[in-house]
Parts: sequence; structure tokens; C-alpha cells
Amino acid sequence: MFGQRTRIPRLALAGTVTVGLVAALAACSSGGSSASGGSSTGGEPVEITFQSWVPNIDQAVDAFNASHDDIEVKLETITAGPDGGYAKMLSAVQAGNPADVVQLGYDAIPDFLINDALEDITEHVGDAEDDFVPWQWQTGVFNDKVYAVPQASGPLGQFYRKDIFDSLGLAYPTTWDEYYEAAKVIHASDPNKYITAFAFNQAPWLIGLSQQAGASWFTAEDDAWTVSIDDEATLKTAQFWQKLIDEGLVKIEADFSSEWNADIQNGNVATWISGSWADAILRGTAPDTAGKWAVGPMPQWNAGDSVSATWAGGSASAVLKGSDHPAEAAEFALWLNSDPESVNILTNVGAGWPAVADTSEITALQDAPEVFEFYGGQDIWDVFAESDKSVDTSWKWPPLSSTLFSSLTDNVKSAVDGGTPLADAFTKTQDDMVAALEDKGISVN
Amino acid sequence: MSTTSDRTAAGRASAPPLPGPSGPSAPAAGRRGRTRRQSRAALWILILPFTVMFAAFFVAPIVFALVQSLFTVRSSGLGFGPPETAFVFLENYATALGSASFVASLGRLLLFSLIEVPLMVVTSLALALLLESGRARFPRFFRVLYFAPYGVPGVIAALLWGFLYIPATSPVLQGLDAIGLSLSPLSSGGVLFAIANIALWGFAGYNMFILIAALNAIPSELYEAARIDGASEWSVTWNIKLPLVRPSIILVTVFTIIGTLQLFVEPLVLRPLTTAISSDFTPNLAAYNQSFAQGNPNLAAAMAVIVALVGFVFSFGFLRLVNRKGNRAW
Amino acid sequence: MVRSRRQPLGSVIAVNAVLVLAAAYFLLPLLWVVIAATKSPGDLFASFGLWFSDSPQALENLSRLFTQDGGIFGTWVLNSVLYSAVGAFVAMVLSAACGYAIAKYVFRGRETLFSVILGGVLVPATVIALPLYFLLNAAGLTGTYWAVLLPSMVSPFGVYLARIQANAAVPDEVIEAARIDGAGDLRIFGSIATRMMVPALVTIFLFQFVTIWNNYLLPLVMLNDTKTFPITLGLTLWNSQTQRDPMFYQLVVTGSAVSAILLVALMVSLQRFWKADLTAGATKG
Repeated sequence: MFGQRTRIPRLALAGTVTVGLVAALAACSSGGSSASGGSSTGGEPVEITFQSWVPNIDQAVDAFNASHDDIEVKLETITAGPDGGYAKMLSAVQAGNPADVVQLGYDAIPDFLINDALEDITEHVGDAEDDFVPWQWQTGVFNDKVYAVPQASGPLGQFYRKDIFDSLGLAYPTTWDEYYEAAKVIHASDPNKYITAFAFNQAPWLIGLSQQAGASWFTAEDDAWTVSIDDEATLKTAQFWQKLIDEGLVKIEADFSSEWNADIQNGNVATWISGSWADAILRGTAPDTAGKWAVGPMPQWNAGDSVSATWAGGSASAVLKGSDHPAEAAEFALWLNSDPESVNILTNVGAGWPAVADTSEITALQDAPEVFEFYGGQDIWDVFAESDKSVDTSWKWPPLSSTLFSSLTDNVKSAVDGGTPLADAFTKTQDDMVAALEDKGISVN
Repeated sequence: MSTTSDRTAAGRASAPPLPGPSGPSAPAAGRRGRTRRQSRAALWILILPFTVMFAAFFVAPIVFALVQSLFTVRSSGLGFGPPETAFVFLENYATALGSASFVASLGRLLLFSLIEVPLMVVTSLALALLLESGRARFPRFFRVLYFAPYGVPGVIAALLWGFLYIPATSPVLQGLDAIGLSLSPLSSGGVLFAIANIALWGFAGYNMFILIAALNAIPSELYEAARIDGASEWSVTWNIKLPLVRPSIILVTVFTIIGTLQLFVEPLVLRPLTTAISSDFTPNLAAYNQSFAQGNPNLAAAMAVIVALVGFVFSFGFLRLVNRKGNRAW
Repeated sequence: MVRSRRQPLGSVIAVNAVLVLAAAYFLLPLLWVVIAATKSPGDLFASFGLWFSDSPQALENLSRLFTQDGGIFGTWVLNSVLYSAVGAFVAMVLSAACGYAIAKYVFRGRETLFSVILGGVLVPATVIALPLYFLLNAAGLTGTYWAVLLPSMVSPFGVYLARIQANAAVPDEVIEAARIDGAGDLRIFGSIATRMMVPALVTIFLFQFVTIWNNYLLPLVMLNDTKTFPITLGLTLWNSQTQRDPMFYQLVVTGSAVSAILLVALMVSLQRFWKADLTAGATKG
């Protein structure tokens, strides 16, 4: 009466379908997961995995694979490190199935070291030291052991709308005092126009500004860290920006946001202090403003100085502990960041200012008409080459830099939001950072 | 074909399901021995696959989180050396509850629930009642339209509304500004409403659906009779419809409470755009941040356990409240 | 919905006006994104949001969307479908069996088991996802399709729906009668009970389908390789790359438009079944 006899197979059928799909899936996943099989004896190339979030870095990986028969690099594009990429790398090390080579910010290297997650690659790449800019190379060296090969950094420069400055009769601001005066003139000319956006969301930017003023937040002495996020130079910087905020001379908005993009396009924001890689961003964001931009060095605290800083350091390639092929991984890391072909590709895709010492073979940094045209014919690479040389190299990254970034961003946000002094945000970050380090059992002076 | 009691079965089936004791529906006890043994085997086959999966993917992680929350990882000196794991008992819980910003995030979550839950229930109920009032011109069309955003993932919804919350890209804010109404949804005063709006947009249609189903299950003779007696539309709605769909309203409320406790994706996506959202804006975000940005999964586990406990207290507390106040919900 | 009485014109207008306003509200973001998807990156932020720009380039944007990174967007769409369809189907089968058993069998610990399962509905996703990562990592499953699929196959809410539906729609007399006819218990479940529970099964499937489709945290935690990403994760990855290359803004917008249209189309075509579930007779067919 229910006709069940004819319908029996339904569940069985369902089961079969499931099994079939699952089997198909298994095929997919086993094809997709990284094969390790540590045999380098046969003709098979050694396969290593490389995790990075740099857009279009696959071009460099392809170039490596094309020129190397014995090593096959498989690229995994991952979420940017601070957004979760690092946490996954660390967990994979703990679980014993890490990627071989990973993208690491200079600031993250100490974090990985305290988690015992990096392979000592001194024997594989130690000889290459002289090929790199010294301060960049040193970011990967701890206790005379090499843990990372530097890739690129973001020496800071000031992008500015030359047409706006010219039309207002403003000279390029070489000092912060002149910068302040220019800010007043620009805002007075049009209430919608500001000299720059105060990027509350951007810890690296805030750190760069402090670093340029001479701040040195972390020093290692006698097996303990000295933390001075509230040092004089930092507070001086905070007070300067406080003045601009209080007088409404800067626009408080997140950089890279859609609002900021619009402001860059329509000239409401006239300058941007940023890394060398920002040139591609400007060209992409505001193609209609071609020819109106120029680049100058950062304004100075003391007239006549030439002090620069970086956008929170830069990025390196490191080999994770537990890699089945550390030698091949290190070989790839070195090639990626020093071979002229690769460095050229990296520079072209906007990875940053190369860490190699000799940039004469990097064609992208010689003559780049399509880039220079956007800046009214200016050779902007000169500015950044100069900036790179002027970076204060004594800056040291501590463990828990991620805590530093998120605490600084949170505190600056809440100061801006609540109208409390910006300087307090740095003092609060100092307290947060000391507490976080001590919680981890790390000694603080 | 069995069509007996079609109407009542339909009514019961369509009444929104609610948890509770199943009543005396179990097969009669006096069964024959042959079927009994076979029944036992069948029972296991039916119940085991889910139970095993549930144990592996729900229970095990919770147990793991509980254990994890009792430990911490410490380094020493400058920190460059293998770290050590230490048992610290409830210290992570003390750290979490002693942190002003984490406690503030719990308070913020409470405030958010107070905004979101009434907003959601009232909106979806109003839409359901209007569509079923008999006065709507194209009820089917509107119903589908309201339901559509349910299929847009939370991250994408947050990305979209993110554009609409920024004056430079939002035609809505530009329009309001033109008539002298200047709103800033992402300011610290507005951001909870901005997030509530994203959730409302996504889920009001779904909840409306549950309520419409309940309204449809009411035999229409019931209110036709009342109308003939001269009852106004308001009194029919208030005295007949609302009491009869009460269980569904409770279901929608519980769903919304659970949803608000999970608040995570929307603030995560909007965070870079505003000064009003910190990295520990909600407890879930704080846990995620601890685990994924700050490398402290132990503290994250403690935070997550606290959120789960708060969730249990809220949901069961609410159910208890409505059960005591009126007749049983089921 | 029987229009049995004459409606006062004023209230008809008022009701429909409210409904139209609500429709505008629900449509607005979708409309914005579809229009934005036709714009050039330059016009995206510079032209009025609710109207097309002077030089629409919808096809160019679409072809960029599907060719960027070797056509990875298409893979993300397929992955989303795969995760959702397979996960929801297995979840439906598992929870139907378990819910039916809890409804129709008396066994020790029945109510305890049910309460524990119900408790699972209340557990926030963050509580599960992070520790689950460590557990699956130990099993070597993270980074594979399984890491997202397996946890998606468990739907406590589905068990609860199935139990309610089994109670309401599968009369005990039917089971008894089938037993007397000599049918085994599994056969009774597989061929009689499931048929009576169809509305609940459809609901469980669709509910879980949407849940998996919308899931963000689980894939975020579990997956590394972009080739295994679902749409949600892929688009947020691109969104994070806008920091390095503003061209990605247009990709994110176009991708959002395509996936929103896809899902809305899915919802609209499936809402028939949601409705069928909630209003059709349990013994239909």
C-alpha cells in the first residue's frame, strides 16, 4: 500500500551517489595536496612548496621552474601573513607538514624564531651575504645564523600632486614645518582638500614616521628587551600629527579604502608618504591623473638632514623547520631574491625595492618610461635609491610584532575616535607590548 | 496512498519545529522478539554515522579547546629558543576576563543583541503579516525578493554594504546628504546599527519565511469567523494570528540570538574602514585575533569557551523565560 | 491569502507602499554591485553609484574576472558548488537517519543524546573551527577538500528537524504495519519513512547547502591553496590584495556581483522547495 517495494533502492542509490562523489573528491584532493616523497635519486625533480601572498609572484616561480630541471616549485597563494597566513604556517610546522619556503615580513622573523619554526640555512646561503644591502640581510640573521633571505623593502618617499602644489604657489616641503604650512594652504584653498590622509589603520606607516624621527622602539641588551615605544622621538611625531588633526588639516581615513581611492583620483588628498611600491598603486588607482604627480624625499625634522625610514621593513623568504628538502628550498629562496631575472620580475609586479646591493642589472629600475611619464618624466627611482641608503639601520624587530601592530592600530583608532591625545595611544601601546612580552615569559628591562 | 488526516498532518508538519520531548510516539513496547533484535541493529546503523561524525567534528574540538585553554606557551630571555608549554589551569580565563577590552567586547555583544534581536523579529514579522494580509498585490514576487539576500554570503554582504557606508562610494549617503541629512554609519555611534543592518538585510527574508509558513498553517476559517463577527484587522492580527504563530516567533528569536553571538564576519570586513572597530570588537573577533594574528591559541580557546558559555546561558535563559511566562512553547 | 472581502483602498495602498519600500531596501546593494560591475576601475569610485558610467565595460570586467590568475574564479565557483552540494547531501542523509531513530526508537540515553546534539546548534563557529584545525592538521587533512567537507557533513539542526518531522509525519501504525508485512527496519526507514519526511529532508539539504555556501571561517582556517578555495574565501583574498594592486577592487566587485546573482538565482529557483517544505502536506505523494 505504500509501494515501498519499488522504492527500496532510493537510500542505496543515495549511498552509491555519495560514495561516488566522495571517491571523486578523494582523487581531487590527493591530486591537489603536496606530494613530498623525498626521492631525489631518480629523474624526478624534487618538489617544494612556496607560500606567498604577493600578487603575480607566480611569474617568478614559473621562471625558476623553467630554468631548473631538478627542482619543481609549487606556489600556494595564501592570505597575507598578518591576516592569518603566519598562524597557519606556524601550525603546519607544529603538525609536521609545513610548506618549504614561505614569504615572511622582516618583522615576523623573530616571531617565527621564538616558535622555533625556521630552518638554519647558513650553510646553503651564507656566502651570498655580500650580494645584499647590509641592513636588509641582517634582518634574517640571529646569533650569526642565517634564517632568511631578504627580498624587498619599502623605503619611504613622498608622492605628491605637483600640479596642486604649483597652482597654490607652494614649494616642495623639505621639512615638517614646511609640511605643516603647506597643509594649511592646501586646506584653505578648498575645504574638501587635504595635504594627506591620516591612515589610522596603518601601523607600518605610523611606525615608519616614528622611525624617521629617530625612534628605536626595541633594543636587545643582556638577554632582555628594552621597549621604548613612548620615547621622545615618537611623542614628538605624535604631537606633530595631533596638531594637524586638531586643526582639521588632514583627512582621517583608512588608506587603500574605496574612499581613499576616490580621494586620490579627485585630488582631495594631495600627498602620500609611502613605499617605493606605491607607484604602481597610484598608477592603477588614478590613471586619469597621469603627469600630475611627482616624488620627493620625506620631509625632515632638521633642515638639511636626509633621514629616511621604511614601511615596516620589508619581506623575506625563509625555510620552515621540518622541510623535507631544506637545501633545495634554500636554493630557491636565494635564486628568487637575487637572480637578476627574478628580481626584475619581482620589481615589476610591485614586490618592493629589491634587497640586492647591485641594482644595475635590474632593468626595471633603469629606465622606465611608462612609469616616469606618470610622474611628469621624473626618474622616481633616484628618490627611492637615495631613500634606501638613508634608512636608519639600527631598527630591530622584537618577537610579537603582530601584537605591536594590532595594539598600535587599536589604540590609535580609539584615540582618533574618542578625541584623546595621540601620544597616549603610543604610551598605551608601550604598556600593552611590555605586558604581552612578559606574558610570554620574555624578559623586559 | 495514505491521505488520512491530511489537514492535521499538514498543519503539524508546517508548524515550525521546536525542540522538546517527542511525546509518546515511540513504537509500542510489546514487539516481537525477532523484530526487536533486528531493531537494535537497525538503530545502531541509523544512529552511529551521525553520532560518530558529531563526536569527531563537534565534541572533540570542544574538548580540545577546553584542554588547550588550560595551558600556555612560554619563552624566556630574548625569546629566541624553543618555547615551553606549561599548565596554568584557569589563568587564561583570568587573563581574558581581566582584560578591559575583552569584557567591553562582551558588553558590546550584549548591546548588539538588544538592537539586533527586536529589529529582526519585528521586521520579519511585519513583512510576513503584510504579505499575508490579503492586501499585497504581488505577494509571491515580494516574498522571493525579500528572501534573495539570504543567499549572499555574509562576507560578500559586508563587502557590499561597506561600499554603501562610505560617502565617497555610496549613492544613498550622497542622496541623504543632498537633502541635508548627513549620516556616518561607520562612526562609533553608528557602527553597531550598521552591522545590525547587514544582518537584517541578509536574514530578515529567511525569518519571514518561517513566519509565513506558520501563518499559512492557521486554518483560515478561524479568522474569517472573527471577521464576520466584526473584528478589525488589528484585532484579528493581535488576538488570533500572533498567539498562534508564537512558537515560530520564539524560534526566530532563538535563531537570531544564536546568530548575534557568532558576530564575526561583518566587523572583520568593516574593520579596516573605520576607527570604531578594533581588533577585539566582538569576543569572536578577539579570539580569532589572538589565535590568528597574535599566535596565542591558548588564550583564544579560553575566550571561545567563554563565548560558548554566554551563548548557552542566553539561549536557554530565553527559552526558560518564555516557557514560564506563558503556556509551553511546545 | 483568499481575497474574500472587499479591501479598503487606503490600506491596500499603504500595505503595498511599505512592501515596495522594503523591496527597494533588499534590492539596493544588489543593484549597486551589478551596476558597479560594469564600470572601469577609474569610474568605480568616481561616478554616481546607482547609474551606469559613460563607458560601461561589463564584458571586459567579466573576461578579466574569469581569466585572472589562470581562471581561478571559475574554480572557486565549482568548489563552492562541490562543498555545498556534497556536504549538504551527506548531512541530510546522516541527520535524517539519526533524527528518525531518535524519534522512533526507545533507547537508553535518548534524551541526553538529543540534548547534546541540540547543544551543538548553539556552539559558535569560532569555538569549533580553530581547535578543529589542530585536530585535522594532526590527521594530515588540512589543506585538502576533506578539511572543509567532513565538518560540513554534520548538521545538528538537521537532526532536530528530522526528529520533529518523523514524529509529525511518520505514524507509528505505518511502521508497525510494515513490520507485520515483514519489512526490515532499515527498509522501512529507507523506503517508507524517508518518503514521508521529504519536506524535512529538502529543508535540511537547503539549509545546510546555504550554510556551507556562506561559510567563511572554516575554509579560511583550513585551506591554503587557492585552487581549493570557495568563492567567499577567494573574493576576500582578492580584497586583501587591493592593498598591492587597486585593479583587484574591480575584480572583487565583479566577482561579488557574479556570485550574488548566482546565489540569488539559486534562492529564487529553490524557494519553491522551501515553501513546499513548510506548507505542503507531510504525506504528499
